[in-house]
Amino acid sequence: MPGAAGFRRKTTTRSETPDIMIETFAQLEQIGADRDLADVLLEADSEESGFPPDQILAALGKRREVMWECIRRGLGGGTSMGRLVGNEAKILWESFEKGETFLDPLAIKATVYALSVMGENSRMGVIVAAPTAGAGGIVPGMLLALEEERGVDPGRTVRGLVVAGGVGSLISMRANISGAAGGCQNEVGVAASMGAAAACYMMGGTTRQSIHAAAVALKNTLGLVCDPVGGLVEVPCVKRNGIFSVHGLTAAQMARAGVESVIPMDEIVEAMVRIGRALPRGLRETAEGGLAVTPTGCAIGQRIKDEANERRLAKAAERERVARERKESV
Amino acid sequence: MARKDRKIPILDIMGPVMVGPSSSHTAGTARLGRVAHEILAEEPSALKFYLHPPLAATFRGHGSDFALVGGALGLSVDDPRIPEAIRIAEQMGIEVDFDEEDLGDVHPNTVRIEAKGPSREAEIVGSSIGGAAIEVFRINGFAARFLGDSPTILLFYRDRPGMIHEVTEIIAREGINIASLACSRKQRGKDAFMQVDVDSPIAELALREILALPDMREGRYLDRIP
Repeated sequence: MPGAAGFRRKTTTRSETPDIMIETFAQLEQIGADRDLADVLLEADSEESGFPPDQILAALGKRREVMWECIRRGLGGGTSMGRLVGNEAKILWESFEKGETFLDPLAIKATVYALSVMGENSRMGVIVAAPTAGAGGIVPGMLLALEEERGVDPGRTVRGLVVAGGVGSLISMRANISGAAGGCQNEVGVAASMGAAAACYMMGGTTRQSIHAAAVALKNTLGLVCDPVGGLVEVPCVKRNGIFSVHGLTAAQMARAGVESVIPMDEIVEAMVRIGRALPRGLRETAEGGLAVTPTGCAIGQRIKDEANERRLAKAAERERVARERKESV
Repeated sequence: MARKDRKIPILDIMGPVMVGPSSSHTAGTARLGRVAHEILAEEPSALKFYLHPPLAATFRGHGSDFALVGGALGLSVDDPRIPEAIRIAEQMGIEVDFDEEDLGDVHPNTVRIEAKGPSREAEIVGSSIGGAAIEVFRINGFAARFLGDSPTILLFYRDRPGMIHEVTEIIAREGINIASLACSRKQRGKDAFMQVDVDSPIAELALREILALPDMREGRYLDRIP
């Protein structure tokens, strides 16, 4: 059994266990007030998960590389499994390279990289779920564009991934992180929130500012529904990752400048959970509402069903043929 | 307000590294398949997947079919062979079948897996609850709560006084902390099941000692499900 993906757990003794487990963002702000946010989150996670901090950093360092590889592959484009998407990153990238785009390069790269990851995802490529696959373009889009465009040291990006993961981890105390549980706010909203805190931290933000970045980003995704066309992680998921990558950077910029969320982060997470519960089932990943049931969405959904049926029938016929031939040869 | 009993660790939030397109439909389902693989603990000859209706409606578009089979063949969620898993199973002569089954009041993405091997069978029922996280709540007919996020010892034995004590004594002697322990049984004095989640891996020798206890029938040691 390839135990724990190469990790060795340390045996935690009572004296190492902290008196309090960080359960809320209010606690995190207090504990991390005069400290480096990544250090605080790393320490807490290490105590709780049992993985030593250096192993967590090393694993996240590898994931940063996987993210870069995925982005580079995705720039080449291709067709998704449902044939609805796949070339968004390539198109925008080529326009950027020709000098035909009008947004700031940071915003362009954040968008392109997020689209790139999602393109790969839609082709069953290898990606990093952050926190899910369907929202997996946002954190790498934001953080790696920032790293490249603002000359952030890769080691600091990895610490940014600690902050992003730590924010998601705290949210997971209260909310299920899936579109099926609470709509897209629980995936893309959470990813943008994680990325915003990390981006703010990477650009020198304090613990308080980083938490406010997370709050501003999450607050402004509340109510976002999960209505994937044909039930595939393609429409609107791919472009939405590109859009919310920039959304997260905007939240990080506001918070870094000192803008604060009036509603505290903990209360925003609770609001998200309540909104998620209030969402009708058709808008929680079932493909029975919203964009999925527009005339175009329905037509695509039908085509995907028909194609799956055809493949199934073809396979069954093939199996029968092979069985018949085998019988005849005996 | 809503409070769950556990926080998902950073490495599970910023991960896993996986084959797309959906952490709950592809990675989570692959991990469920992998649990069946670990419990069967031999090369399968037949794999049957019974999908809860919401999952049955969406699973093919997300590659859950490849993922379930890939996991059941022992592949990890980041294995690039996952998209080829069904073909690989066919080449290995493994019978693969998907069916729909109402599994009751459970998470939408729930599946029952029956894996048959040359010498035994395994059955699990579990849900993919988002971000690749899983919850297996039935193992070989016994109630369980297996999350695949810590080393776990699964024991199948004949219900009798002292069994829990004897098992935990060996674990304690190894200096290993038990995070949680749960037992269930089909009938007093008959088939019983014990799940012991531990904080650190257990030595092979101690495990063998547990398996040699009187009335112990079978045991599995599972580390984190990758």
